[in-house]
Amino acid sequence: MGDFTRRRFLQVTGVAGTALAAGLIRPSFATESLYEAAKAEGQLNLYWGSYEQKTIEGIRDAFTKRYPGISVNLLRQASQTVYTRLRLELQNNSPNCDSLGSTNILHYLELKKIGALMPFRPAGSEFLPKDFQRLDADDLYHVGAISLTAINFQSAKVSDAPASWEAALDGKWADKLTIGSPAFSGDVSSWVVAIRKKYGDRYLKELAKLDPKVGQSNVDTVTDILSGERLVGLAAPFSASLTQKAAGNPIDVSTPSDGTIVNLGLNAIPANAPHPNAAKLFSEFLYDPEVSQILAANYWPTLRTDVPWAEGRSLEQLSWYRNPPEDLVAEVAEGIAKWKEIIG
Amino acid sequence: MGVTVHASSPAAVADELKNHRPWVRWGVVSAVLVALFFLVAQPLGWILYNSFHDDQTQALTVGNYLRLFTAKGLLQPLINSIVLAFSTALLSTLLGVPLAWFVARTNMPGRSWIRLLTLAAFVTPSFIGALGWILLAAPNAGWLNGLFRAATGSASPLMNIYSMGGAIFVCAIYTVPYTFTIVASALDEMAVELEDAATTLGAGVLRTMMSVTIPMVMPAVIVGFILSFIQGMTLFGVPAFLLTPSGTAVVTTKLAEFYQLFPPEIYMAAAYCMPLILLTGGLFWVRKKILGRKRFVMIGGKSRAGRKVDLKAWRWPALAFALIVPVTAVLLPYFALVVVSLSKAWGQGPSLDNLTLHWYQWAVLDNPATQSAIVNSLAYASVSATLCVLLGTLIAYIVERRLVSGTSFIASLTNFPIIIPGIVLSVGFFAAYTQPPLNLYGTAAILVAAFVATFLPIAFSNGEATLKGISPDLERVARILGASEARTFSSITVPLMRSGLVSGWLLVFIPVMRELSVAVFLITPKTNVMTTLIYNYKDGGNYEAVAAASVLLLVGTMAVVAIAQWVNVKLARHKRDRAEAEVVQ
Repeated sequence: MGDFTRRRFLQVTGVAGTALAAGLIRPSFATESLYEAAKAEGQLNLYWGSYEQKTIEGIRDAFTKRYPGISVNLLRQASQTVYTRLRLELQNNSPNCDSLGSTNILHYLELKKIGALMPFRPAGSEFLPKDFQRLDADDLYHVGAISLTAINFQSAKVSDAPASWEAALDGKWADKLTIGSPAFSGDVSSWVVAIRKKYGDRYLKELAKLDPKVGQSNVDTVTDILSGERLVGLAAPFSASLTQKAAGNPIDVSTPSDGTIVNLGLNAIPANAPHPNAAKLFSEFLYDPEVSQILAANYWPTLRTDVPWAEGRSLEQLSWYRNPPEDLVAEVAEGIAKWKEIIG
Repeated sequence: MGVTVHASSPAAVADELKNHRPWVRWGVVSAVLVALFFLVAQPLGWILYNSFHDDQTQALTVGNYLRLFTAKGLLQPLINSIVLAFSTALLSTLLGVPLAWFVARTNMPGRSWIRLLTLAAFVTPSFIGALGWILLAAPNAGWLNGLFRAATGSASPLMNIYSMGGAIFVCAIYTVPYTFTIVASALDEMAVELEDAATTLGAGVLRTMMSVTIPMVMPAVIVGFILSFIQGMTLFGVPAFLLTPSGTAVVTTKLAEFYQLFPPEIYMAAAYCMPLILLTGGLFWVRKKILGRKRFVMIGGKSRAGRKVDLKAWRWPALAFALIVPVTAVLLPYFALVVVSLSKAWGQGPSLDNLTLHWYQWAVLDNPATQSAIVNSLAYASVSATLCVLLGTLIAYIVERRLVSGTSFIASLTNFPIIIPGIVLSVGFFAAYTQPPLNLYGTAAILVAAFVATFLPIAFSNGEATLKGISPDLERVARILGASEARTFSSITVPLMRSGLVSGWLLVFIPVMRELSVAVFLITPKTNVMTTLIYNYKDGGNYEAVAAASVLLLVGTMAVVAIAQWVNVKLARHKRDRAEAEVVQ
């Protein structure tokens, strides 16, 4: 009950935050001067893979509306693609990217190592969930997206969806499961690393016996469920599934009690960004209540604890797990190799 | 003289002509070589250079090549790709060659519709075709399998699209248009006298076809086979969607894995493409061996008659055969896509309650991204196709008439890009076109340059196949009568190649429209194209938007194709009328 009251309180403050954002209170002096500097630059080149097209377009449009005079060029491609593009720009000395938003923390650790990131601490990042604040002690990158990996299922045909990863191994789900491939999807490879940590290779071996359909991306689970090809998706995208549910499709999400996987999307400004002030302004805007409202409307976890998620969900309700970044390169490689050996 | 089997050396023709106005020839040849260097040699050089570097340390190494042969799991995808590509090419030849003959040379009903629908198959990006076929033939939920189960009461599906057979089938039906277009345009231009002679001497339709028509169009058939093989090697969408579930890796899906790894193994990916270059080199060598010095000159001085072979009662079975590709590659999958695109929520299945035009309204009116992407796609494809055909035809002319020495090197260089999968080419283009003097990064020109280089082999092969059918005698006559080399080329060779040029233009225009990977590191928000946008919607799981945008892509491209065909027909009519008028005078 106490939890409920706290949530109500957060919802109310969220609404208040939106009112602030809508212009009832003038932005701070610091933001004002950053805006002036950004306006002088006139442009902002966003390389983003963290959100799908519709959500990131919504954020872009809100930014343009709030800060007229800065034209935003949004390159929305897969995380690995925008990262590779940035690396090519660095190698060929053709800097163009102002803000990189990818879902792989390894990208940022590598960019940090080669000194390619600009330190900046965006105002408002203190509204992030405590665990996700100041991920980098040098303020070179910050959380720009919270992505959840859960279980999705055909809601018209499945009344007893697995409540945990373990429960999905029940024999009754034989030939009814679908999952993406860790070799193609970063989210699925994170899931494989997490599940092997928790259950070891036993999990993959038992999963192989159920003959899951292996697609490419984690979004393919949504397609398989909507088409009726399979009934339950593992390592499934939380937000994309809920978006389809809201559109009227027979799909829903179960957040596993043995750990919904949290994958953080990061956001950083390259050291040689052509429009650094515009990029800083955008980084701060991400923690604006308006962006969190847009995220909630698109079924994404919000970046501010004071703006509630859609469907009254919240991080506190979940039992969640996040892979620590240390040794992740080796763990991912090993996870993919084991997957190929056991599942094919 | 209508048709000859000609064995005179083109080099002799070149020698005869060499003394006239050498500066025009050298000007053109130099311009072509410079273009080839910047467009093709430089990006390929970067890919080769990259292949000898280590992804982690950036140091010079042959380690990538060693890994290719020693590491587990790297050879099998190559073998799988060869199986997929060879079967695709074989099936697409078996379907495409008779189809081309029915459409170009017989009185089969519905010929122009079949032609148009076969081109529509060509327009479809392979990942969209695969998507359509997943809806139709996924083992549990595929609509065709559902119908089969309902009709027979069987528990097992009619077909499982998630298999090597399924992938070969889908690759082939979307590759048939290559064979079809090239062979049909050769047949269009072929004189009918030899066929007439065979018929007069008592050969039946089949015998004439087997012993006269098919050997005559053999150069075109072989080019079609090679292009289909290359398609089978380089397609990504079909194997990614249809073979991943069965755990079968091919070259392109393996490359995607290299790029997905952290750190991305871009240099390893470059090395992984090198066996493909050898393989394609081998194919072109085989082609040279088969065709040898034999030249089937089909166009002499006389324009051909437009008479068709009467199939009599066989017209209807022929039509049934000709419908295989239009039905399987266009009508069925697009039916599925249209149903999805008209749904509020496609998971609910088709019903009146679920019907909406929202996604079309969204794509056409509400979403500026789609509007600019479709304009960009059409503009880049038109400009690229035009430049590509211009350059490809000039190169084909230089190579075919041996205007300079070293033509086989020029031919090989021109042919290389097409075998390298787009995602690897994209990195080569990035390196080549972001450095002075070609600093094109961020502009539309970088995309056009990349598309021209990528599809130059098609324009070149098509130009070669067309030129092989035109006797150098006609050019020789013009030169003897005092015309310059440039004049001869523009007023004799080009008009004779007209139909081949139009088909060449379409053979480049359409693949550019549907290309996904080459643009991946080159597009900017302002130069975004339809396929990248569609792929993004797929990435977000928004299938209604994917389906609506795919249907729009098809409609937009088909409109341009129809205009090109119409222009071609008009030109042909104009030419015939003029020829007839001259005869009357």
